[in-house]
Formats: sequence, structure tokens, C-alpha cells
Amino acid sequence: MGIQEQYRIEAAELLSSGAVKLVIGYGQGSTPDRRRPVFIRSAEESKQLLLDSYCVANLSGYLVPEGLLSDGKSVGVFLKPDGIRSVNILTAEAQVNPDQVVIFGFDIENGNTKPLSGRKAIDFAPLIESMKSTGLSPELQHEADRLEQMSASERFEYWKAQFAKCIKCYACRQVCPMCYCRRCIVDVNQPQWVNTSSHTLGNFEWNIVRAFHLAGRCVACGGCDRACPVNIPLRLINHRMSKEALDAFDHFAGESADQKPVLATFRQDDPETFIL
Amino acid sequence: MTRILLHDRLDDCLAAWRSSGFRVLAPTRRDDLTRFDEVQGAAEMALDIIMPERTIKDHFFLQTEPMIRYRIKKQEIDTEEMLPPEQKRLFFGVRPCDASGLAIDDQLFGWDYKDAYWFQRRENSVIVTIACTKADDFCMCTSVQLSPDSTKGSDVMLHPLKDGRGWQVVTLTDRGKSLVDGIASILQEDAAAAAPTASVPVKFDVDKVASWLADPASFESHLWKEVSQRCIGCGSCTFLCPTCHCFDIQDEGDTYSGIRRKNWDSCSFAMFTMHTSGHNPRNTQSTRWRQRIMHKFNYYRGKFDVNSCSGCGRCTRQCPVDMGITETLQVISNLPR
Amino acid sequence: MRVVSKREEAPGVRTLKLEFLKEEDHEFFKANYRTGMFGLYGIFGEGESTFCVASPETRKEYIECTFRQSGRVTSTLANADAGDIVTFRGPYGNRFPIEEFEGKNLLFIAGGIALPPTRSVIWSCLDQREKFGKVTIVYGARTVADLVYKNELDEWKQRDDVNLVLTVDPGGETPDWQDHVGFVPTILEQAAPSPDNTIAVLCGPPIMIKFTLTALEKLGFSPGNVYTTLENRMKCGVGKCGRCNVGSVYICKEGPVFTAAEVQAMPQQDL
Repeated sequence: MGIQEQYRIEAAELLSSGAVKLVIGYGQGSTPDRRRPVFIRSAEESKQLLLDSYCVANLSGYLVPEGLLSDGKSVGVFLKPDGIRSVNILTAEAQVNPDQVVIFGFDIENGNTKPLSGRKAIDFAPLIESMKSTGLSPELQHEADRLEQMSASERFEYWKAQFAKCIKCYACRQVCPMCYCRRCIVDVNQPQWVNTSSHTLGNFEWNIVRAFHLAGRCVACGGCDRACPVNIPLRLINHRMSKEALDAFDHFAGESADQKPVLATFRQDDPETFIL
Repeated sequence: MTRILLHDRLDDCLAAWRSSGFRVLAPTRRDDLTRFDEVQGAAEMALDIIMPERTIKDHFFLQTEPMIRYRIKKQEIDTEEMLPPEQKRLFFGVRPCDASGLAIDDQLFGWDYKDAYWFQRRENSVIVTIACTKADDFCMCTSVQLSPDSTKGSDVMLHPLKDGRGWQVVTLTDRGKSLVDGIASILQEDAAAAAPTASVPVKFDVDKVASWLADPASFESHLWKEVSQRCIGCGSCTFLCPTCHCFDIQDEGDTYSGIRRKNWDSCSFAMFTMHTSGHNPRNTQSTRWRQRIMHKFNYYRGKFDVNSCSGCGRCTRQCPVDMGITETLQVISNLPR
Repeated sequence: MRVVSKREEAPGVRTLKLEFLKEEDHEFFKANYRTGMFGLYGIFGEGESTFCVASPETRKEYIECTFRQSGRVTSTLANADAGDIVTFRGPYGNRFPIEEFEGKNLLFIAGGIALPPTRSVIWSCLDQREKFGKVTIVYGARTVADLVYKNELDEWKQRDDVNLVLTVDPGGETPDWQDHVGFVPTILEQAAPSPDNTIAVLCGPPIMIKFTLTALEKLGFSPGNVYTTLENRMKCGVGKCGRCNVGSVYICKEGPVFTAAEVQAMPQQDL
């Protein structure tokens, strides 16, 4: 039995028994190669669940908005390792109770899906730990190296051209599981920290602020990159910030559910002389 | 016999138009994005694509537009109105859906007060549209009473020739006629047939949708929650839509000098209807999704007799979670009578 | 416009009296302003905020606006002093058709910070007192301190051609409070004004409008004879930015003055 069939049956069982009130998974999108998030609430509906190599989106972002878990019930969710790391971060930041999250773990390798065994985020701890040592994604590394080899002013021109496309749609923010602030910094007007206009300054401000707010929290799911309607390669910025967090603080986002946030934790033996 | 323009004479046209004072904008691929931008030659144009990722609306209703510059010294205020430049522009290779978006928005921007920013640009621009010979799964112009060769909003219509040598040229408006007269020597009479237009299957019954939306009972329907579950509330669909036109007004500056601007805004954003008191009439994504659909196919239609939708399909094509209005309208269209 | 004077009405609530700087702007205002219309008041560098014009159409030498300090713009406006410059865009919107109220009795009902738009209509009518029948004003606030236009309330109380019914919410009274205690809809029902040949003008937060409309209907008022003004979130004020769109209506263009019948036809959830 393939993983898709196996998980459909498990989802149906959990729903029928009342163990979960909802399963968030992937369903058929509007074209053959698209998958969309589906919200399954009955055993009958679980037939809609699909699982294949097109299922790349990080669905953990749906756990926080509009108080989904506030009734104390459990929710099932299909997650790859990046999504499991997201759950760890959400737990560490007190946004989610990990006991309420039932994970249908899977990974995509060479165009095939394979199941990952475990039910709660903590079950996947050894897997997540092993990811830390494999380093950041190799395909990204190649693009990141290309940027690294540019001079600072060449890099600045590159990003200026990319950010010039930004239309402040905030798709990057909305799709990111880590961007859950009820009032984002751009929505604050006393004072208006970040301009809402999409001129050069406004675009730089937004994208850089978001990259900083994600430093040490980004799980490289690529959601922001795929969501951006104007094709800004956002994963490259966040990748670089992740690299900095790893090199400077040995910090791998989402490693555990009690991981301390890298930019908000201070140690007595910190080599820096100031908090910045 | 019709007048045709050959592909390899296009650069001559561009030269003629530029020498009569036009800036020429066309779909072009730059920095990994296709959009309308100024081009110097036909080689820069990306005319083979279904449609550019960004719409032509961006050049008439800017994402960020300065309105007033202010300077304050003691008790004296000096203000300077910042209206758009009067530069003549020619948009070449517009898709019928994008062109119709302009005509649809003319209604709102001209409702009682005439929006100077919009109309100054409209009056100084000529739209040369190319009919579509191919479409993709997301196109739905035929579902909103438009078509791959709709002339709405266009000044000149080009029909691609079957043999691929160029286009038939049809003038639609006075502005279009004077443009084409200016390149008359570059065109030639020819009997070549036009290629068949793209086949775009109708995906929903928009009249049925409109009458369901107009029924007050539909406002409370549980359908809204069901269809919008995966919506993440970003502004992609709004900002890529040829007809969406909501905006915000922001002051950028300090108490001494600055600029009051208007910026794009979206009814999908949580803060759109947030009152200072904290009361938010639309505080769930499903209520905001309902507003989007209601506005496009009920309120706007009721006011201006036209759907606020040009059927381009960008909302679904580029939605991060594969939403967009097509699915919702199909669900409504398929409701039992 | 220049701030001529400011007055603190209640904790956090201010009234600014503004005068025009340019004669042609003043002429425009005088030619166009009717009671019920609103404007966008602002400070360059902070932004704009929407309030009604609280002064009546019978006194167009200046503009008065009353607002609660609650956000960025209102906080800055609240700190404006006499001589400071603020911006005004307007007057926008539709109006209370007071010529249609002539010969009729008038019932004004307002709650808290919603007295300002009502007060504009009240004075527009009192300044032409002979044209109207009985005038009754029912006004309530959360506490005694929250009542606005306190000096005008005294004036109306003294007049024998005006029946003023004042109330505060239960628990909001002070030891020497002489008037009613109770929520506005309750006090209204007790006062039981007759619906005969009467026009009601009702302003308040959505929840108060809802309960007061129910009370008015119980007293025999038809929703076509009850007028109200809606204050939704607005930005441009001229029907372009889309923010105030509720149902088929743009509040800034087809409102903010509506009959209760028109309000009931709007999708209530969106208000």
C-alpha cells in the first residue's frame, strides 16, 4: 500500500474516532500538477487527500490563524521535515501546543514520497537533529555562492533590481508559518516603522525587516519564494540569514521545541561586547 | 483585403511612434518577471507569452503615487500638487483582458469626481491590443462576457496572421486611427487570413452567479467559509488583477516636509476595515473573501453594469494556495437552482 | 485651516474651532456645506481622519469638529493649539434633508461621542426654530464626565421650546446627578415620544442604533422616518478608495446620512 493510501486510512480513522477534529493536507489543485491545501473534517472527505512529489507547501502555517487550536482539540497535518521544524518553533514561541498537533510526516526524495514515522513533533527529534549536520540545501548553496562572489555594490544592485519588483502584497508574510504576528510591524502606524509604499526605500525596508525577523527562525520551506507573484528569490536572503545564525550561534531553526530564539537570548559568555 | 503589419517592420513602427513623441511600452521579460516596460526594439518584446505576470493597470494606477508635497515653516504651509507627467505612451501587445480592465476601471475613476491621476494617463495613452491565439487553463475571459479578441478598452486591435508573418490591423477609436495613419506607409494590403482565436471554455455562468449574490440570503451562506478556508489573506490576487483599484493614503515625512501618497490596498487584508476603536466588521478571512466576490460581481456590477473582472485568471494562476475567483464562481454556478 | 480655539468636552474628547485661511476655500464651503456632511481633517506628516462637521449649516463662518483621541491623527489633533494649521478636505457626502422636516416634530437621539453629528442638525433646526414643531432631545453617555457639549446641554435645558432628556448608564451617575439613569433605548421607551408627524434623527455606535431602532419601532416609528449617520472607516472620502463600501453603497458618496430603512437593507455583518 502506498503512503497516500495509508495516510488516507489513518486520517479517516482519526477523524471517525474523534481523535482529531480536522486534517490539513493536500488535495487536487486547478491543474494536474498543482496541489492545494485541503481541510478534511470527515472520513468520507479523506478521499480527497493526495500525497506525491507535487506536495511541497508547508502547511504548518494554518495551525495558528483564527484560533484554530483554541478549543483544545487536536488537528492532523501533513508535514515534511521543514514543517515539523516549524511546529517546533511555534511551540518554542508559545503559539502552539505540540500535543494538539498530530503529524503525518513525509519527505520527497528523487521524485518519490516516503513516510516518516512519528506522530508528535518530538518523535522526529533524531531526524531533525541529523538535518542540522547535513547543512543547508545544496541547490540553494549554488545560487548563494554566486551572490557571495559578487562585490558588495554588485550585490546591492542585484537586490535593488529584484526589490524594485515588490508590490507589497505580503504573500511572503502570509504564507510563512513564522509570520504569525497579529499586527505586523508594517501595520503599526504609531509610528509608521516601515513605509507601505513600494518605492525603493519602502521595498528595501520591508524585505530586510522581514529577513531580520526571520533570522534564526526560517526553516527554508521555500513558501515565500513560491508565493511571491513577482518572482523575487526570497529564499536566498533567508538562506543567508540562516547561514549567519548557524555560523555565529550554532543555531539551527526548529531543532527542538524548547529552543531559545537566537536574537532574543543573551548569554553571559557571549563574545560580543554589546547586545547587538 | 485588410491592412497588415509584418513582424519585421515592427522596429520601423517603433521608430515612427517614438519620433512622434510616444514612449513605447510592451510586454518584456526583465529580472525574472514579465511585465509592461519601456522597450527600444521589437527584440525586447515577449509577445509569445499568454500574458505578462503583471498587468497594464500598473501604468495607470501606480502602486505608489505621490499626490501632494508639503513644506511647513513656522505657521506657513506650502503645498505642491504632484500630477502625473503628460508623457504620451503607446502600449503595444496588450491582451484583451488587460485592456478591458482599463475600460472597467474608467467607470469608478470617473464616478462623479474624475480621478486626475487615472485620466491624465488614460488620455495620453494609446492601447494596441493583440488578440489571443492561445490560452491556458486559468484563462476565463469567456466566462465574464469577454473574449480572446474583445475590443473593450483598446484603440487598435491586431489579429495574428495564420501564416505567422505579422498581424491584421484594425483601428477601433479615433486615437487608434490617428496612430495607424501615422504608420500607414509601413502597413500593406494583404489577403492573409487571421489565425483562429484561442479556445477558452466557459467555466461558470456569471449571470447566475450575479443573481445568487444579489439575493440577500446568500450573504449569510455557509458557502463563504467553505470556499475560503485556504485563503491566507495576502494581496496577490488584488494587486495582479487588471480591475482591482482600492487604495490607501499615507503621509511620508515629518512635521516639516513630506509627501502625501496613495498606495495600493486590498480588501483581503485584515486591517482594511479596522476601525480605530478596534471594531473590525470583517475580521475573518471568509468575510473578506465574501466582500471581494460581492464587490466584483454584485456591487460594482449593480452600479456600473459591468463585472469588475476581465477574466485574465491571474488571481488563480499566481495565488500561493491555488485559490482565485474561478473556483468560487464555479461552486456558486453549480448550486442547485 | 487655522485652529481658533479648542475645548475639552470630556476625557479624551476635544472640540476644535477652525477658520479658513483662503477666501475662495471659505466661499466653496459656504456654497456647499449642508448639515450631515463630513470632512477629512488632518495634519501633514500624520495623515487624515474622518469626522462630521459638527457646526450647523446656519453658522458657516467657521468649522467645528469634535473627536475622541484614539489613534495617530486624533492624538496629534488633540494637541493642536490656537494658531496651529490643520488640513480639511470636504465637505463630502450627502445631507440631512431638513427642509423635508419642516412642519414636523423632531426627535433627536444620540449616545456618547455621537452627539456631534446630531448637534449639527439640532442647531441647524433651532436656528430656524419657527419652522419645526416639538423638539425633543434624548442624549446619554456612559458617565456624567463623558457627556459632550456640556454648556450647550445646559442651554437646551433652559429653553422652553426644547425638551431635553438626559441620561447616563447605570453606574455612571454622580451623587448630585439630577437626570435619568439608564441606557438610551430604555429611557427612550420610557419617554415614549409620539411617532405622529415626527422625524427621528438617531446617531450612535452600531449596537446602540440596533437597540434604539427596535425601541422606535415598538413606539410606532416607521424606518423611513428615522434618519441616521454612519461612520465607517473612510480614506479618500470621494468614492474611489473602496474602504467604505458596504453592500451596494459607498458610505462616503451615498451617505453618511441614511434612513433606518436603507441601513436595514445593508448587510448588517459588514457594518
